[in-house]
Amino acid sequence: MTQVFLLISIVSAILVIIERRIARIIIYLAVYSLAVAICYMLLGAPDVAMAEAVASIFITIFFIVCFEKYFSFADEQLGESLRKIPVLPLLFSVGLFAVFLYFRPTGEVNTYLKDLYLLNFIDNVGGENPVTAIYLIYRVYDTLFEALVVVISVVAAIHLSAHNLETGKTETLREVQDNGLAVYAIQIICPLLLLFGIYLVLNGHLSPGGGFQGGLAIASFFICRYMIYNINDLSIHKLARMEEIIFVAITLFAVSVVFLGGVFLLLPEHLLAPFRIGYMLVMNILIALKVACGFIILFYRYIVVENDEV
Amino acid sequence: MGITDIMGIETIEILIIAMFFIGFYGVITTTNIVKSIVFIIILETAVIMFFLSIGYHVGILPPIGGEPDIYNMADPLPQALMITAVVIGLTGTAVNIIVFITLFRKHGTANWEVAARKNKEEFADE
Repeated sequence: MTQVFLLISIVSAILVIIERRIARIIIYLAVYSLAVAICYMLLGAPDVAMAEAVASIFITIFFIVCFEKYFSFADEQLGESLRKIPVLPLLFSVGLFAVFLYFRPTGEVNTYLKDLYLLNFIDNVGGENPVTAIYLIYRVYDTLFEALVVVISVVAAIHLSAHNLETGKTETLREVQDNGLAVYAIQIICPLLLLFGIYLVLNGHLSPGGGFQGGLAIASFFICRYMIYNINDLSIHKLARMEEIIFVAITLFAVSVVFLGGVFLLLPEHLLAPFRIGYMLVMNILIALKVACGFIILFYRYIVVENDEV
Repeated sequence: MGITDIMGIETIEILIIAMFFIGFYGVITTTNIVKSIVFIIILETAVIMFFLSIGYHVGILPPIGGEPDIYNMADPLPQALMITAVVIGLTGTAVNIIVFITLFRKHGTANWEVAARKNKEEFADE
């Protein structure tokens, strides 16, 4: 089963290589992301599959928003490189592929950490989702730096799109709004998205999902709202300030819990469990707010680049 | 080689490595910036999938639930790390597209070679 979906994704990747029109490349990329998300699911990773599904929605939306104005020009410059197949890079890639196949790691996988986490996470952390337990407790510093990367890329996007050289409106969003079926579909999906995002955040410690996935779903609610009703009443600067404040709050909260957590160990076991659940809940909510802020800013920045409004 | 061999972990690993090198070939041969961004996404997903396939066997279960079935459950550690990798890949793609738009505004091209030539001319003028 996994092999079938892997083959589908490989075929769409090869189609991207030989395709000459950017519109089709975006469609192949969407197919590729769907197949890849299903592969993640079949490899036993529902959390990653969920993150990939929401992330691929964002990638497709980013490409489509930029499409009208920039990518249609890119079509003309695609053809020339494809008339002859470059032999040397092909041989080089195939050679590296062979080397990797020959030297790839084989044999038994060391399952020490897996057993450690799976056997102990209920006693150490609580909840029912070991993935959430790892990224919020055992390896919380990775999560902090991941949040830092999101902040940095948002700052980079704001900085790079600060100078608006051109004016003129794109027709892409108008076309979406004129399309009755799309409007109805998004109107039905929109409130469910928000509900689904909140559900993912609040149940992150019990089921697949959590702060990142829920935050992305909440941000996509605001994007749908903009596409249908043309509302963008959120101030980018307030959102950016809020994102920075939440990032500081996440850092302080996580670090203080990690360092001062020993105090709670003096409590008896049955009193301790609610604190751990509460920690994961608060961290998930903060991360969700931060990720949502970041991606709303990124999307509105694309709108600014496109429309010169806000 | 029987059917069980084809359905095993070996085939999955080979396909994932093949996917990585398709993305690699695309990155080193394409002259179009948008295509480069797409191939970088493909490279990232191949790496993520390689991590997730570690310890895979047929009939693996997602690591969820209060009573862990140690042998059949997937390894939760690479999954927790790959969630952050997915989100970071998304932000990286967003910044890539913004950089492409800035470059396009400046030079009016989506071709690496033309953009490099125009950059060089700009430096020569200064």
